[in-house]
Amino acid sequence: MLKINQLKASVVGTPILKGLDLHIRPGEVHAIMGPNGSGKSTLASVLAGREEYEVSEGTVDFDGQDLLDMDATERARSGLFLAFQYPVEIPGVSNINFMRAALNGKREHAGLDPIAAKDFLNLVKEKASLVELDGRLRDRSVNEGFSGGEKKRNEIFQMAMLEPKFAVLDETDSGLDIDALRIVAHGVNSMRSPDRSFLVITHYQRLLDYIVPDFVHVLVDGKIVRTGGKELALELEERGYDWIKEGVVS
Amino acid sequence: MSSAVKSQPQLGPQRLLAHPASQAKGLELDRQLQAIFPDRTNEAADALLTTLPVPHRRLERWKYTAVNGFWTDIARSEAIYDDANGLNPMPIPGLDAYLMVFVNGRYDETTSNLPVAEGVSCMPLSAAEKMGLVDRVLSDVERTDWFAALNGKYAADGAFLSIADGVILDRPLVVHHRQQGLGSPTFLRHALHVGKHAEAKVVTWSSASNDASGFVNVLTTGSVGDGGNLKLDKVQNELGSVHHLAMESIDQAANSQFCIQTGTIQGHWVRNDLFIRLNGSGADTILNGAFLPAHSEVIDNHTTVDHRMPHCTSSESYKGILYDRSKGIFNGKVFVRPDAQQTNAYQQNANILASREAVMNAKPELEIYADDVKCSHGCTIGQFDEEALFYARSRGIGDAEAKSMLVHAFVSDILDGFAVAEVSLEVRHRLAEKHGWNRWDEPSEL
Repeated sequence: MLKINQLKASVVGTPILKGLDLHIRPGEVHAIMGPNGSGKSTLASVLAGREEYEVSEGTVDFDGQDLLDMDATERARSGLFLAFQYPVEIPGVSNINFMRAALNGKREHAGLDPIAAKDFLNLVKEKASLVELDGRLRDRSVNEGFSGGEKKRNEIFQMAMLEPKFAVLDETDSGLDIDALRIVAHGVNSMRSPDRSFLVITHYQRLLDYIVPDFVHVLVDGKIVRTGGKELALELEERGYDWIKEGVVS
Repeated sequence: MSSAVKSQPQLGPQRLLAHPASQAKGLELDRQLQAIFPDRTNEAADALLTTLPVPHRRLERWKYTAVNGFWTDIARSEAIYDDANGLNPMPIPGLDAYLMVFVNGRYDETTSNLPVAEGVSCMPLSAAEKMGLVDRVLSDVERTDWFAALNGKYAADGAFLSIADGVILDRPLVVHHRQQGLGSPTFLRHALHVGKHAEAKVVTWSSASNDASGFVNVLTTGSVGDGGNLKLDKVQNELGSVHHLAMESIDQAANSQFCIQTGTIQGHWVRNDLFIRLNGSGADTILNGAFLPAHSEVIDNHTTVDHRMPHCTSSESYKGILYDRSKGIFNGKVFVRPDAQQTNAYQQNANILASREAVMNAKPELEIYADDVKCSHGCTIGQFDEEALFYARSRGIGDAEAKSMLVHAFVSDILDGFAVAEVSLEVRHRLAEKHGWNRWDEPSEL
């Protein structure tokens, strides 16, 4: 699904990713943990195609395509989804029109006609119920005046609408109370399937109690320094990151 | 009414500085016009044309807008309405309305459709003047503005609409002006009167053919009686290289309402100059505008709202999105005179520069001489929100569509605000055509 080889990236001249390798097969859920400033969100931004990030070396193969050769729109249309750490408010653009444009963009890419209004509405109803997003939020401007939890639920709603092959969840747990966390995790878990993969970026182990990963990676200073199963997350929660950092140095 | 006007103190800086080179150009234009229109004379206007300063860059009101385009070759036009090229005299499809059509300033009777009803008087201005229904009295604006004085002298025709007290015009009146051919010096003068508790909706629509040049100088005078309501939708959609100067001079009586909604779809050089005087207590004015220039278009909106009496309200919102090398100018004057206590005045001007080469000059100008008033204003010039654009792209929305969504979000409140709904639709449609956007198909069924 996704093969990252020796990825190096910088932002305004400062190197952040320093030779990152990561292979994700279809159906797998990978978690990336790491201390602040280790490059977790940079990885998410680089994968989604944010232009301020400059890739100097390495390759990213996305389902047989050169991901780095595509712009953000093409990546999304090819089945990549990024759930933002800080979802953006777009006053004056209704959530529902935004999603219709997104969905029709993807359909156009796949050579399909725009979705019929009735089918679209049914789809919205179905996917919104998955994350308990009520009608009021669907009709409002994109993320405008949403609470932190509502914004994150809206991200998962969008993901469910677009049905990506591969989704990156960038600190989706930040700012969530325990109920919202459960709702968001339920939305993600119900989308797990043998041909869909996830990369879950998180600072805390808590989210991984709800979204159980197949692999946990630790990112330190722009490289993955340790990989393990879900028990690695528990160990990190208990011991912090320092012992790994020390291990890297020695 | 004019005596009330004169008793008011002159406010604001009076920097009426004539510039010799400009005066010479102005007089030369007057001379050429006199040769083309020998029958058009007006002594009062002549006096003003020699004493008023001809606009130039050192006059504050003309600092950002070059008038060179007016000093080019002009020629008498014999153009008449030509439907051979499939042009519809009614510019707004499907609208059930009265229609007055003018071509290069000349009334076209065959395509026009005038209202005939008790209490409604509607005809070409030339006819109304002949019948003595209206006098060529030079307005405040003509006494201070050289181009307006020029209109006072040379305008031979325009729309005349007078609604008697208590009468409601049952359909909008569309006044369509078409500029055609090379170098036509066009003058138009519209006179609108809405009586006490009377109502009317008027649409002024300007169009021009691809090869049109010259200038259009249009002055609309309006008066709204006690409790009356006049709504004016003003749309400018001119191809060619026409210089278009449109002035509105409106007097409002007590408890009257006036709304003017200006949509500039396209125009090589467009200047809107609004003068609104709130002469009676409780009067309310709404003035909004949207302009989306591209290429090297120049769109200028100057507005003056003059609060003369207490308990009046005014609300103003102008929004611009500037593409390519286009230039926008906004100047919003609000006077609150000493007697105008309890005034509530609001002004907003927001602009997006959609290109690095676009220029916007914006200036709110509030002069407040009363102490118990509420006046607020805001002015912004920014760019498209890059975060919002990336967010949309990350969802698979193309760059052009993402931008058109943001444009839509930005100007929708103005574009939806035309008094005649069909005008809103048509303006959106033409803007989408101009800018190559997907049609804005708001899914109403959702």
